Amino acid sequence: MDLRVPSGWFFALLGVILLGMGVFAPGTRADLTDVNVNLYSGAVMLAFGVVLLLLARRATQKG
Amino acid sequence: MKLAPVDYFILALYFVFVLGIGWRLRKSVSTSGDFLLSGRSVPVWITSLAFIAANLGAQELIGMSASGAKYGIMTAHFYWLGAIPAILFMGLFMMPFYYGSKARSVPEYLKLRYDEKTRAFNAFTFAVMTIFSSGISMYALGLLLRLVLGWDFSTSVLCTAAIVLAYTFLGGLTSAIYNEVLQFLLIVAGFSPLAILSVMKAGGWSGMAARFHQMILPRGMSGDVMVHAWGYMGKASENPMGVELFGMVAGLGFVLSFGYWCTNFLVVQRAMAAESMSAARRTPLIGAFPKMFIPFIVIVPGVAAVVLSRMGIGYNLPLKNGGFDYDQVITTLMAKFYPAGMLGVGLTGLMASFMSGMAGNVTAFNTVWTYDIYQSYIRKDAPDSHYLTVGRMTTIVGVVLSIGAAYLAQSYNNIMDLLQLVFGFVNAPLFATFLLGMFWKRSTGHGAFTGLVSGTIAATLTWGLTVAEGKGGVFGVVHTFPSTMAQNFWIAIMAFSTCLVFTIIVGVMTQPKKESELEGLVYGLTKIPHDPNAKWHEQPVTLAVLVAIVLIILNIWFA
Repeated sequence: MDLRVPSGWFFALLGVILLGMGVFAPGTRADLTDVNVNLYSGAVMLAFGVVLLLLARRATQKG
Repeated sequence: MKLAPVDYFILALYFVFVLGIGWRLRKSVSTSGDFLLSGRSVPVWITSLAFIAANLGAQELIGMSASGAKYGIMTAHFYWLGAIPAILFMGLFMMPFYYGSKARSVPEYLKLRYDEKTRAFNAFTFAVMTIFSSGISMYALGLLLRLVLGWDFSTSVLCTAAIVLAYTFLGGLTSAIYNEVLQFLLIVAGFSPLAILSVMKAGGWSGMAARFHQMILPRGMSGDVMVHAWGYMGKASENPMGVELFGMVAGLGFVLSFGYWCTNFLVVQRAMAAESMSAARRTPLIGAFPKMFIPFIVIVPGVAAVVLSRMGIGYNLPLKNGGFDYDQVITTLMAKFYPAGMLGVGLTGLMASFMSGMAGNVTAFNTVWTYDIYQSYIRKDAPDSHYLTVGRMTTIVGVVLSIGAAYLAQSYNNIMDLLQLVFGFVNAPLFATFLLGMFWKRSTGHGAFTGLVSGTIAATLTWGLTVAEGKGGVFGVVHTFPSTMAQNFWIAIMAFSTCLVFTIIVGVMTQPKKESELEGLVYGLTKIPHDPNAKWHEQPVTLAVLVAIVLIILNIWFA
């Protein structure tokens, strides 16, 4: 098993959930935050997940 | 703290993934070697992250952020003075003997190098220690979840233990290692936003330094001590840890850290699972890169919490019985900074750290029990399938014993102190045994055993004859330390020195093994692997030099 596949899916899913929260419920804030935490962290997690999946795909195509 | 449905969904998603990985890997297990040693076939990037993650348990996260709030950036000495140099030493100088000896565990290396009794001593003490570590970690998590979320202690402990049991039972060490990598990534994802948000809110690092400069801490010290790792090391009375420079460098930087990272099978096992000698040596060295930066996500939020509590913006340090309850710093910060969604990720990260620490202990316990105790003393010549069954059963027993230890740990208060105490008694003398075993061919089994026993006795005596913050001193009081931290470091120094001296004296008086029996086990009689075809970035020395450069920069930056 290539660990990048499950990890990639996991972070992509997390990213989609948080990004969704950030876009559709931008008013969800904690007491001390002034930024849309879900939006930014979701975007980073989604990007990270996609990179892992791409790396895994490239590895299977090569060999 | 209140969780929203989305937070529970994220937690559930994580459980599905860890169990799924265990389920997928169940087919890779057909021998006891697959189950207990991963068949020595795991890619190097995976072993490297698992090497770090197995150590990054819940008590480490909670304890380090607590120490960040209590002692400031000085806490980073546990990483920048302690762990990293030890990890470099392990990868460069010790891994060739561990991996090259074909030993299946650290105690088994002691058997090959020394003798049966030295192995037995190490195997039994290690087995007990892993169970306790795992139990303490479980206790810490159960307590925290009850305080923060109001979850029932027993329910949260038993449920998380059941999940760890399920995936380690299915896929053995491979499953534990693969999940540790996912858990490590999740810890970083769940905690780094907190570090960024809390430091930004507190005015950035320079803003924090300026505020600390004008602050008087509860103990009457200048707040400046919180942002300097080295500046106040001259006198024990000047820094919040109450440790002087020699005790810090020799006790923590040398004895405790080298004892832990170079001889503790829990971490060494991850490197031993690597697919080749070269990969095994690179495992700790590559792991050192992320390890160096972990202080930023676990310690720095604790430091920021102190500033935030003085800004009058609605954050207060958690209290308990009239004093500060530092163990709750990280979760109270999460409650203030994380909205629903991100809060789920943060909490899942905490769960992940707990599981990686526990799985690390359970898999190490498994291997030592099955190979070093069961196969050595209970049933020697059974077919391999028998040992596979024993390994699987031991997983269940290990988890059950850990749960017992968790309930036992409820009677102790400070988790880190207790852990340090255990490390001091058991691990500190060990490093002397390995150092002499690997680099001095005259050292003998009788010498090593005498050294270990006398070192452990020396540790116990030092603890029993000195007192710090009202602890120790059960046999009388010869010396008083300014803090339990200083006491722990000195216990380690005494244990190490005693073990070193006794191993040498008895070694000289007894018959050493023949040189032919020591090939592959001792420096000078072992071919240190050199791979001239390896690319520059695959050479252990290159990696070590890079780590050392970054390490020096970090130490100077936060001096």
